[in-house]
Amino acid sequence: MSDKTTPLYVVCSPCRRVGKTLVSRLLTEFYVVNDRPVAAFDLADEGPQLADYLPDFTTIADISETRGQMAFFDRLIADDVGVRIIDLDRRVFKNFFTVVHEIRFFEEARHRSIEPLILFIIDPDPKSAKAYAVLRHQLAQVSLLPVRNQIETAAIPYGDAPSKVNMAPTSLDIPLLDFPLRALMDRQSFSFSRFWRGSPADLPASLTPELSRWVERIFFQFRVLERLLGCA
Amino acid sequence: MTKPAVVLIGGDKGGVGKTTVARTLLDYFARQQLRVRAFDTEVPRGTLKRFHPDVTDVVDINHVPDQMRIFDTVNSTDATVSLIDVRAGLLSPTLHALRNIGFIEAAKKGEITFVLFHILGPSIASLDEIVDTAAYLGDAKYFMVKNFINNTYFFEWDEATHAAYFKRIPGAVGITIPKLVEMAAEQVDLASVPFATFIANQKQSGAPASYSFVLRGYVRHWLETISAEYDRVNLTDILEAKESSRPPIGRPRPIIKIAES
Repeated sequence: MSDKTTPLYVVCSPCRRVGKTLVSRLLTEFYVVNDRPVAAFDLADEGPQLADYLPDFTTIADISETRGQMAFFDRLIADDVGVRIIDLDRRVFKNFFTVVHEIRFFEEARHRSIEPLILFIIDPDPKSAKAYAVLRHQLAQVSLLPVRNQIETAAIPYGDAPSKVNMAPTSLDIPLLDFPLRALMDRQSFSFSRFWRGSPADLPASLTPELSRWVERIFFQFRVLERLLGCA
Repeated sequence: MTKPAVVLIGGDKGGVGKTTVARTLLDYFARQQLRVRAFDTEVPRGTLKRFHPDVTDVVDINHVPDQMRIFDTVNSTDATVSLIDVRAGLLSPTLHALRNIGFIEAAKKGEITFVLFHILGPSIASLDEIVDTAAYLGDAKYFMVKNFINNTYFFEWDEATHAAYFKRIPGAVGITIPKLVEMAAEQVDLASVPFATFIANQKQSGAPASYSFVLRGYVRHWLETISAEYDRVNLTDILEAKESSRPPIGRPRPIIKIAES
């Protein structure tokens, strides 16, 4: 067992099309850029999936049956995995947290120097606020951070966010991005880490600074999060 | 001084999970630090003994010397609790024999604590068993256990009918044992260890094991739910009841042969 604490991110929402996979991609590639071992787990059953964007780093998991749960959770707490990122599909949201609660997964993770952080993407849908409140209550010992993804949920001004969300000490902010860049990064061939290491040839030079600033702003927040988790 | 306690686990139907309930009780007693000895009536091989070999003896409950081993030593053993896992079909004959040897009378006089866990199957026949059993109970603590372990849904039970049977035994208390995830049950069975040992990821020898964390989590959650049921019915208080001022019971009257299985 390693002495160093490693983070485990659960990127989730009970709603669709809020940007879970985008946040998971950014997180995974943040660690790729920093040459840190990272393993992403894709619990989505509808595309485009994280595994489509990052096949080399992603394992597809199915936790609908006990055997799949064993393969997934037992792997998650193995010693040699590195940073863990879970892209949690809305359809397995309830089952995932039910199992996690029942088997006390996060307690065991902490026992093994793995620090969980739930990144909950907020959304105007009332079930989002309800699910957030349930998680806050049931997993009171685990860090739960609201994510404001302005690309997909720009309609929620800060003041209109669910009240529970506002109680959080901080949040992760995915800033707005112009449409051409959104279309670019939606391509399965696009890689944030490759972009970070050198702009792709098909990216107009005029757009590069904007995307750089956007990525840097997000990566900066990831670095802060790591420090808060005690994993930096 | 704590009275000696005898806990009988039985049911006339096979496959209703009697031994599973006995195993949960042994884990519960260990957690409560109650000294316990167990008797497994699945002769000759035993089932309970496979999981709890240190505290379990295999006995033939039809065999008079084995009956003496159990009931003649209730007062003299160091164990506070004597647990008997009665195999299928022998519950009524065993109760009959206990009445004949004066054991049930001793319980009625408060010299012994007698607790019966009657494991019920899903069929209406189980309700008839309750009536048969009630005739022997005396002052025993009677727990009717609905065991959902084996995919049992108690589909044949009409609640009104159930309640009518329930009323016939004043003081009877219902206990529900939830279903354990099948794969977890299988793995504990394969490991042949107590549930608590499986949760602790250990082999029978105490050496570290490598059981699935997920399955251990399921077993822990399940066992905690059952322990909460035992807490709810104040099982520990019942078993730790203090002895009355009466002198200890002597040897029971001559053992009477229990009906052949």
